[in-house]
Amino acid sequence: MTITGGIAEADAASATMEVEAYKRLYPLQFYERHLDSDVRPDGRPLTRARPTSVNLGSIATADGSALVKIGNTTMLAGVKLEVITPSTASPNQGQVAVDFQMPSICSPLVRPGRPAEAAWVVSEQLSNALVSSNFVNLQQLCIVPGKAAWIAYVDVYCLDADGSLLDAALLAAVAALTHLQLPAVKVTETGRVVPLKNHNGDAGQEVDSIAKKNEDQIVKSRQRLERSSMPIALTCVSHRKHLLADPSAEEESILQMSLTVIMDTSGRLISFYKPGGAVAATSATVKDCIELTKKRVAEVNSIFEEAYEEACGTEMMVE
Amino acid sequence: MAKRRGEVAASYAVDANSGVGEAAFSRGPARLLTADGDRHDGRQLHECRLNFLKTGAVSSAAGSAYAEIGQTKVIVSVFGPRESHKAEAFSGIGRLNCNVQYASFATSVRGKANQGAEEKEFPVLLHKALEGAVMLHTFPKTTVDIFALILQSGGGDLPAVISCASMALADAGIAMYDLVSAVSTGYVGKEVLLDTTLEEEKCSDGEMMVTFMASRNEITQLKITGQWPDATMREALSVSLDACAKLANVMRECLKEELAGVDEDE
Repeated sequence: MTITGGIAEADAASATMEVEAYKRLYPLQFYERHLDSDVRPDGRPLTRARPTSVNLGSIATADGSALVKIGNTTMLAGVKLEVITPSTASPNQGQVAVDFQMPSICSPLVRPGRPAEAAWVVSEQLSNALVSSNFVNLQQLCIVPGKAAWIAYVDVYCLDADGSLLDAALLAAVAALTHLQLPAVKVTETGRVVPLKNHNGDAGQEVDSIAKKNEDQIVKSRQRLERSSMPIALTCVSHRKHLLADPSAEEESILQMSLTVIMDTSGRLISFYKPGGAVAATSATVKDCIELTKKRVAEVNSIFEEAYEEACGTEMMVE
Repeated sequence: MAKRRGEVAASYAVDANSGVGEAAFSRGPARLLTADGDRHDGRQLHECRLNFLKTGAVSSAAGSAYAEIGQTKVIVSVFGPRESHKAEAFSGIGRLNCNVQYASFATSVRGKANQGAEEKEFPVLLHKALEGAVMLHTFPKTTVDIFALILQSGGGDLPAVISCASMALADAGIAMYDLVSAVSTGYVGKEVLLDTTLEEEKCSDGEMMVTFMASRNEITQLKITGQWPDATMREALSVSLDACAKLANVMRECLKEELAGVDEDE
């Protein structure tokens, strides 16, 4: 029985069957009947995203970290800093290296030792989006031009995979980078980079005193990265004339055509991704997606600002 | 990717550890205890760290749990019982398949734990600790997968994973004889330190890890490293068992609360 051939049969069956059984046997028809009355099985209107939360600084061993939840999809991003020698091509720039991991805890489909196919795709998209949006000012990561610079390893772990992975992963990566603080360091005469011990308010004083005592030592004080407009992604799936924002894993698997739009908070389009699929997107669909993304960017931005205020707001007042 | 992994951790990463390094050189109780005989985090010698336990952390898993014990944070998912891997030989009883992974930012130096023996040793120890507690005959010929991710390493990583895994198994509805709770204990000089932190682990003269089924009063695993005087070892064991029993109570309460919450929802 093919899916299309089964429509009549499915309609006939729906009269007598339990909802759960109908959903299992005719998933597409089950969804279509929901979509025709403009609602999704989880109760959301078609274009509404799932509840989103951002939590900064959840991991103490990382230099910057963020936990992001979009519905059930959970991402944990951590940033670790290391010192490298900058490349000769760009002696006054540091580097950002992004990696996306799907450990086997996140989904029954991922087994240990075999990375999920989705992980490669998301990893690539994620790193492209961060590079092309110029979210991080790489010159700020430089310590001594030509000699030493920071490399920020951004590792995003998927703790629970329930659709729209790129959206959550990108938000987690961006949030972790915003939470990141470059530590106060001094550079000794032999060219080694040494962190200044005191972690809190005292570091500032120490920086001053060292700078006075020893003029030829280079001292960098503790600082956050400059904040620029941040890239935010929205995945949509389209089925016939319906367009659904922020699909769950189930919706992604049943409704085939997905589109991911990445825009930044100043309204620039960063990336547009439609990975093949059986159905071609019309230009109207593309426009609708971009409109939805614009709204979503504003929504996510305000959620993020709230989280940032909560986590880092008090610190700023002290400074 | 290969370039990233291969790069040598430069001076910052090494120097960042110098605080821990100094402590490791000067062994003895002086480093780990304050003048009052308390520990640096304000605990008494025989006091456990604060913990936070929660089940149902991962929606797509059959059962899952998140545990925070002091600075140690772990998350465990359980899948199955499901079809065994094709390559496995036939088995009349069920199987446990364990995997433990460190997140790359879990340790003070990035990704260091991934290369160590711990990644290979932990799954084996986890398996052995739980094997005796799970009723394997209730899911013949199939496999239950237990996957753990250590999000932040703060000492006592493996005991945290074991306790968390037994809660995740309970959450998945896998039949067990009893919950398994675990704790690690160290000793320095003549003092026994219960539930050691990362720094204490590095400086201690000996380490003991006990995994215990409290209601049945049975030890499923006991791992002792270092040289232990007989009297100290007895003291450490009795303190550890007591701590395990208390942790088991907390775990049981947490599971009950979760169930009560489900009933209310319905």
